[in-house]
Amino acid sequence: MLSRVANNLMWMNRYMERGYSILRLLKVNFSANQDSPELFSWTPIIKNYTDVDTSFQTENAIECIEFMIFNLDNPNSIINLVTKSRENARSAQEHIPRELWLGINSYFLYLKDTNLPDKLKQQDPIVFLDRLLNYQLLHYGNIDITQERGAAYYFMNVGKFLERVIQISDFTSMKLMEIAKTSDSLERSFHWKNLLLSVGAYQLYLKKYKSSFQEDYVISVIFQEQLFPKSLYYCVNKLSSHINELILTNELVKNDLEFLLGKLESTIKYTTIENINEQGLENFIESIKQDIRNISMSINNVYFSTKS
Amino acid sequence: MQHLSLFSSYDLLKDTWDEMYSSDFKLRDQYEIISSYLKHTSTDELTKKEDLSKQLFMNQGVTFTVYNDEKGIEKIFPFDILPRIIKHEEWEKIEAGIKQRITALNLFLKDIYHDQFILKDKIIPSELVYSCPYFLREMKNLTPPHDIYVHITGVDLIRNNDGEFYVLEDNLRTPSGVSYMLENREISKRIFPGILPKCNVLSVSNYPNILYEKLKTCSNQPDPNVVLLTPGIYNSAYYEHTTLARLMGIELVEGSDLVVKDHIVFMKTTFGLKRVDVIYRRVDDDFLDPLEFNANSILGVAGIMSAYRKGNVTIVNAPGTGIADDKAVYTFVPDMIRYYLNEEPILKNIETYQLGKPKDLEYVKNNISKMVIKKTDGSGGYGMLMGHEASEKDIEDYFKTVDKNPAAFIAQPILKLSTAPCYIDGQLSPRCVDLRPFAIYGPDGIEICPGGLTRVALKKGSLVVNSSQGGGSKDTWVIK
Repeated sequence: MLSRVANNLMWMNRYMERGYSILRLLKVNFSANQDSPELFSWTPIIKNYTDVDTSFQTENAIECIEFMIFNLDNPNSIINLVTKSRENARSAQEHIPRELWLGINSYFLYLKDTNLPDKLKQQDPIVFLDRLLNYQLLHYGNIDITQERGAAYYFMNVGKFLERVIQISDFTSMKLMEIAKTSDSLERSFHWKNLLLSVGAYQLYLKKYKSSFQEDYVISVIFQEQLFPKSLYYCVNKLSSHINELILTNELVKNDLEFLLGKLESTIKYTTIENINEQGLENFIESIKQDIRNISMSINNVYFSTKS
Repeated sequence: MQHLSLFSSYDLLKDTWDEMYSSDFKLRDQYEIISSYLKHTSTDELTKKEDLSKQLFMNQGVTFTVYNDEKGIEKIFPFDILPRIIKHEEWEKIEAGIKQRITALNLFLKDIYHDQFILKDKIIPSELVYSCPYFLREMKNLTPPHDIYVHITGVDLIRNNDGEFYVLEDNLRTPSGVSYMLENREISKRIFPGILPKCNVLSVSNYPNILYEKLKTCSNQPDPNVVLLTPGIYNSAYYEHTTLARLMGIELVEGSDLVVKDHIVFMKTTFGLKRVDVIYRRVDDDFLDPLEFNANSILGVAGIMSAYRKGNVTIVNAPGTGIADDKAVYTFVPDMIRYYLNEEPILKNIETYQLGKPKDLEYVKNNISKMVIKKTDGSGGYGMLMGHEASEKDIEDYFKTVDKNPAAFIAQPILKLSTAPCYIDGQLSPRCVDLRPFAIYGPDGIEICPGGLTRVALKKGSLVVNSSQGGGSKDTWVIK
């Protein structure tokens, strides 16, 4: 496969995964914000996803959702993410199933419809967000059913899981900043619950730990749950196995990738809650993010170097 | 129930051939089935079909992006739902005519880049060839595999009011539009279910297979790696490039995906470098190799011409074919056919005046209201002067430019392009059309897909069919 195409496929899915995470976050925060606008404000979300110099600010839910979906100056607005994802898919059309391209293209056209922003103001926002989430799910469904398990598939998944690790880490960092602002244990537990909801781990948590939100348990679900597709453990594991598939089939040069992945895997596998508390959750997350950045850089160096 | 109102305002243009009706308003045979279908279909339903066709184009991503206020807007190339229909007998003549023409043009290219007998025998003036910017000295004495220069062509034909097809342009460089031929047919199948088999329409869907087979045989390698080189995502024909690559199952590459090492072209893959044997390029000559042509080009590949010269890669179409579709050289194509093939041309040329000749220039100036003037190296309908609709000042200004270098201009009588029915605002209206069949030249001969792209001037009375100037397209049926 052309190196450029590999890069296209990885980024197609990175942008898609980011869009998916952001939509979930918006949906969860919209509900929470109805309960308690002070606790679940929109500002941290806007700050996390825009450039440092963005002056946009709002605490109006619809305005924020509109900004996060339609604003063209916001690099992470859904419309920008889907446009970029589509451009990557478009340059790799001969490598992906037709259904996959048609799916992304229809998502793109749906977002580009000039009547859509009005619908956001007229409709129930949850229904609106669910419609977009369905396009995201269609994308993953298409890959699952139609994409042959070869290099293209692995590259897509590398993109997806890299981005998912980043998003889960980001969500947690955002929450930690909010939690630090309050000493009220009830408010803190609201935030933990909210984090579980945003990641999509709430139900699993209830099944396992019942309705009592303790930091240690939440961390162990989000970071260490072996069989849950939204946990860091699971994502890093998948990332590693897909990269290994690529190394096995000679699509990827080992370089320092194996070492970096092994290091990250064991960090997540063998760090206990006590260890995390010792070094501080924030530091722990930061070290994971740094590892992910190194892995991403390493893949870039192997493949996508424009220097050759 | 019959909806005759649909046909009620179909006014034939004066002195113009209509594809559906004869001059005494008799329906031509080939339009019988579709016409009776239309009579039994309400305008509501037709309008719905029109909307469906637009939706289908959008959903498939058959679009080009127009950048406006930094917002990329996806546009579709306008499509008229009613097919243009050609009888098989007519098609056979077109097919034979194009084959003859391309054979002669290919011989001309071989001659002009080798012995130049045609210049020595004074059939074509040498200065015409040497002054043409498309004549590439880099191609001199270079022999492409199987002596084929023009692998892919899209000859533009028009039907004059005598009912005959004339050649307007030969398009021997990187003709586009074939993906629309394929896509338009797919849309027709959706909007007129059952009608195509009833009409015995010849299929066009195996074009990508033929193309791939011919491209493969262009190489001296046993199992050649064929790629399609695109200028990239911002090119207005990008959709076509992705489609052809996808349908042939070959890699779509950009200049930066390729690299030349020891006079061999490679593509950069995740496995390392992989040799490339045949390049179907959709990049103009000028941008192909920054070492030999335009040094600022980032669309091409440095060193590709040296690899070509060594015979290590086949470039399709060969560089330098532009000399044979220069508008001044066009005038001599009938002479080429007689010279190289000893045959009379099957398809006629349009009478062309060379403004480099004082006699011709004077004639054109005196008859400007009946003439169209074009630049010899122009395309896309730009830089033309249509004498019948230009103001006196426009004409004066235009001639000021002409007088600086008259040899760079030609003039032709304004043609009566034939009209075909279009569905416009709930009515059938005649609009001017041309025809671009696509031919593929391989070592085992020339194949032409039955039909091609019919371009249509959607503005009433307009003769300009170019997509860049408000033209659209139609599906083209050759029926047996």
